[in-house]
Amino acid sequence: MSFPYKTLRRQDATQPEPIIQVSHLTKVYRVPERAPGLGASIRSLFKPQHSDVPAVTDISFTVEPGEIVGLIGPNGAGKTTTLKMLSGLLYPSSGEAQVAGYTPWKRQPDYLRRISMVMGNRSALNWDIPPLDSFRVLSQIYRVPPDQYRQTLDELIATLDMEALLKKPVRNLSLGERMKCELVAGLLYQPDIMFLDEPTLGLDVAMQRRLRTFLKAYNEQHTVTVILTSHYMADVTALCPRVMLIHHGQLIYDGALHALAARLAPFKLVRLQFSTPVENFDDFVAQWPAVEQLPVENGSRTLRVPRADVPLVTARLLESLPVADLSVEDPPIEAVIDQIYAEGTL
Amino acid sequence: MHHLKLIGAFFKVSSQAELAYRVNFFIRLLHSGLNLLTGVLSLVVIFNQVEVIKGWDMPAALALLGVYLLLGALRGLFIGPSLESVAGMDGEIWTGTYDFTLLRPVDQQFLISFRHWRIFALVDLSMAIGVLVYALVLLGAQLTIGMVLSFLLTLLAGVTLLYAALLAFSALVFWNPGFLFTWVINDLFQLARYPVGLYPGWLRLVLTWIIPVGLMTTIPAQALVGTLSPWMMLLTLAFTLAAFLGATWLFRHGLKKYTSASS
Amino acid sequence: MNQRGGWALIKNTWQSWIQHRGFFFLLAFGWMLPLLVYLFIWSAAAGDGTIAGLTQESLAGYYLILILTNQLTYATTNWTVGDNIRYGQISRWLLQPMSPIYHALSQEIAGKVVFMLFSIPITGLLALIIRPQLNLTWGQALIFLPSIALAWALRFFWGYWLALLAFWVTRADSLLALQDSLIFLLGGHLAPIALLPPGLQTLARLLPFRYMSAFPVEVLTGQLGVQETLIGLSIQLGWTVLAIVLYRWVWTRGIRRYEAVGG
Repeated sequence: MSFPYKTLRRQDATQPEPIIQVSHLTKVYRVPERAPGLGASIRSLFKPQHSDVPAVTDISFTVEPGEIVGLIGPNGAGKTTTLKMLSGLLYPSSGEAQVAGYTPWKRQPDYLRRISMVMGNRSALNWDIPPLDSFRVLSQIYRVPPDQYRQTLDELIATLDMEALLKKPVRNLSLGERMKCELVAGLLYQPDIMFLDEPTLGLDVAMQRRLRTFLKAYNEQHTVTVILTSHYMADVTALCPRVMLIHHGQLIYDGALHALAARLAPFKLVRLQFSTPVENFDDFVAQWPAVEQLPVENGSRTLRVPRADVPLVTARLLESLPVADLSVEDPPIEAVIDQIYAEGTL
Repeated sequence: MHHLKLIGAFFKVSSQAELAYRVNFFIRLLHSGLNLLTGVLSLVVIFNQVEVIKGWDMPAALALLGVYLLLGALRGLFIGPSLESVAGMDGEIWTGTYDFTLLRPVDQQFLISFRHWRIFALVDLSMAIGVLVYALVLLGAQLTIGMVLSFLLTLLAGVTLLYAALLAFSALVFWNPGFLFTWVINDLFQLARYPVGLYPGWLRLVLTWIIPVGLMTTIPAQALVGTLSPWMMLLTLAFTLAAFLGATWLFRHGLKKYTSASS
Repeated sequence: MNQRGGWALIKNTWQSWIQHRGFFFLLAFGWMLPLLVYLFIWSAAAGDGTIAGLTQESLAGYYLILILTNQLTYATTNWTVGDNIRYGQISRWLLQPMSPIYHALSQEIAGKVVFMLFSIPITGLLALIIRPQLNLTWGQALIFLPSIALAWALRFFWGYWLALLAFWVTRADSLLALQDSLIFLLGGHLAPIALLPPGLQTLARLLPFRYMSAFPVEVLTGQLGVQETLIGLSIQLGWTVLAIVLYRWVWTRGIRRYEAVGG
C-alpha cells in the first residue's frame, strides 16, 4: 500500500512520518566462481560454483523529509549497494525499506518519478546533442507539464548560471559544466528524494564550493531529502549535519558529524610551542602511557591525549615546561575517518 | 498516447544526434547502394545458370530479397540501434550505465526497444520498397486484396519475429555481459536472404521453428507471390505470437537477474 | 629484419587475442555464414545433376575449402590501418626500430591462428554433415601451397595500400568495403568463377580479386587444367608484385606527407 506522504504531512504536522525507513536491510551477492583453465570452465557448466559476498549487513535507519544525510565509508563498504537498493536498482537479500511510502525495488513508475540519482562518474545525458534536448526528452519521460518544466528549468538555469551551456553538445562541455547539467537533469522533474553518488568527483575546488552552495540552497527552498556519498570530507562537513558511516557493510555510526569525532576518537590534540628548547620532552611525556606524540610540525609539538586526561595533562605541561603557546583541538574529521578505515574499528 | 508521444520525442532526439554526427552522407549512400547492388547481382548470377530452384524463379526470389531488405531497413531504423545501445558493443550493460535507464519511470522493454532511431535507414527502406515494386512488376502479378492483406500481415509477423529474436538474444547479455549475442542473430539473419526451401531438410527445420529467420522473409514473399497456404500463414502468426511472448518473458527474467531479484 | 621483435609482437597479440577468443570466434562465424549460404544455394540449384560440370557434392567441397582459405587470406588488420593513422599510433611505431608493417604482419599471423582454432573444427563438423566430394591429389596440394601464400600476400598488400590512402583521405575504409564486395562478386564467393556469366567471368579472370580468394581453391579442388593453373599463377604473381610496389610507393609518399603535416 502506498500513499503520497505529502498528504499525510499536511494532516499530521506535529509528527511527520520519516520519508525513508530502512529496517534490517541485507544484501549478499552470489558471485560465480570461475577458475582459470579449460577443465574448470567445462566443470562450471555442469556444476556452477558460487561464493557469497556480503555487501550490506543488517542496516536500519530512518530519514526525515528535508534532511541531508552523508553516507560515508571506504571503497567497497556498501554505500553504493545501499543507494542502489533505495533507488530500486537492486533487490535486497532480506530486510525492508519504505521510501516515500513505496517499496523501492517494486520500481513503480510513481515512485521512480519521485526520486533522482546523480552519479559523479557517469553521465545520464546524450553526449552528441545539447543538454537542452536531453532535458526536453526527460521532461516528457517524467510527464512534467510543459509550463512547470519551463518554470523549473528557467529557475535552475538562472541559479546555476548555465545559459551559455545549453546550446553546446555535451561532449564539448568541461567536467564542471557537465555536472551542472547532470544536476539539472536530476532536478527538472522536482523529485522529493535525491541520491547523490560522489557528485563533486574530479571537480576543481571553486566548482565544488559552488555546487555545495547550490545544493544547500536548493534543499532549503524545496525540502528535498538528500542522501549524499562523497570521499571529499569538505562536502560532508559543508552539507551534512548528519552522517552514517558504513564499513564492511555495517552501519557503525549514525548521528551528528561533529559528534562522530568525539564518539569514534575519544581524544584531543594538544599543540605546544616552547619559549626555550626543551630537552627530554619524550621522557616527560612517557609518564602518561596513554598519551602519544605525533610528528613534529614547524617546531610545535603535538600530543594525542585521551579526553578524560586533557585537564590533568595540560595542567602539568603548563606547570613544568616553558610553554609559550598551548592549544587544545578536536582531531580533524578526516584523520578520524582515515583511522577507522585503516583500523576497521571504532 | 503517452507512449506515442515518447516515441516522437525519441525520434526527434535521435535525429538531432545523428545529424550532429556528420558522418558523410555519401559514404553511407555508397554502402547502401553497394548492399543493394550485390543483392540484385547475386540473383542475376544465380538465375543466369538456372531458371527455377525448388519452385522459386527470379521474380519470386527478387520479391524475397525485397522483404529481406525491408526487414533489414526496419531493424536499422530503430530496433537494432535501440537494443544495441543496451546489449551491443560498448552497450550500457557492458559499461555499467544501464542503471540510469533502469531509473526511468517507463516500462523497460518499451524504453530499450524504441529509444534510438537512425533516420538514414529510411533510405534503405525506400530502396527495399523499390525492389519489391520491381519484383511485383516482374511477377506481372494479379494482386488480389487477399494477397495484399496476407502480405502485410505476414510482413508484420516477420518484423515481430525479427524483433523477438533480437530481444531474446539481447536479453542473454544479462547473464553474460561480455559476449556480443546480438551479433550472432544478425549473422544468422543473413540466411534469410534466400527462400528457406532452398536449404537442406535439417537446416530448413531449424530455420523455421528454432531460430525462425526462415519464417521472417519466406512467408511474406510467398504471400506476395501467391504460394502461401492459409494453414501455414496461421501457423506462422501463432508462432510469432509465441515467440514474442517468449522473448518478452526472457527479457523480464534477465532484468530480474540483473537486479538480483532472484537469488 | 628484426626477428626477435617480430616474434615478441606475435606472441603479444596471440596472448591478448586468445583471452577474447569468444569475440574472434564470433567474427569468424560471421565471415563463414555468407559462404555457407551460397554452398546451400548452389547445391540446391545443381540438384541431382550438374551445373557447369559441377555436382552438388563438388560444389559443397569447393565452398568448404573456400571457407577455410578465405579465413586464411582475409587481411583483418587492414581495417585498423586507417584508425592508426588518424589517431596517431603510427607516430609511436615510427619511433621504434621496426617498420610499422611488422605490427600488421604479427597481428595477421597471430590472428589467423586464433581464427582457425574456430574455423577448422566447425568446417570439419560441417563436412561430416554435408558430405562433400573432394578429389585431392599431391600435385594439386603442392601447387596449392604457394598459391595460397600469394593469395594472402596479394589480399593483404592490396588492401594495405588502399588503407594507406588514409594519409590523404579521411574515409579510406570505404575502399576496403568496396574491395570486400568485389571479392564477393568476382572472387569466387557468390559463385565459383566457372558459374559466372561470360562477361563477368572474363573480368574475374583478369582482375586481382579471384587471385585473393578463389584461385587456390580452384587449384586444390582440381577445377583447373595444367595450362589454366600456370596462367593463373603468373597472373596471381603479377598482381602481387604490383600490390607490393603500390604499397611501397604509397607508403613512402604517405610518410613524407604525414611528417610534413605534423602527424
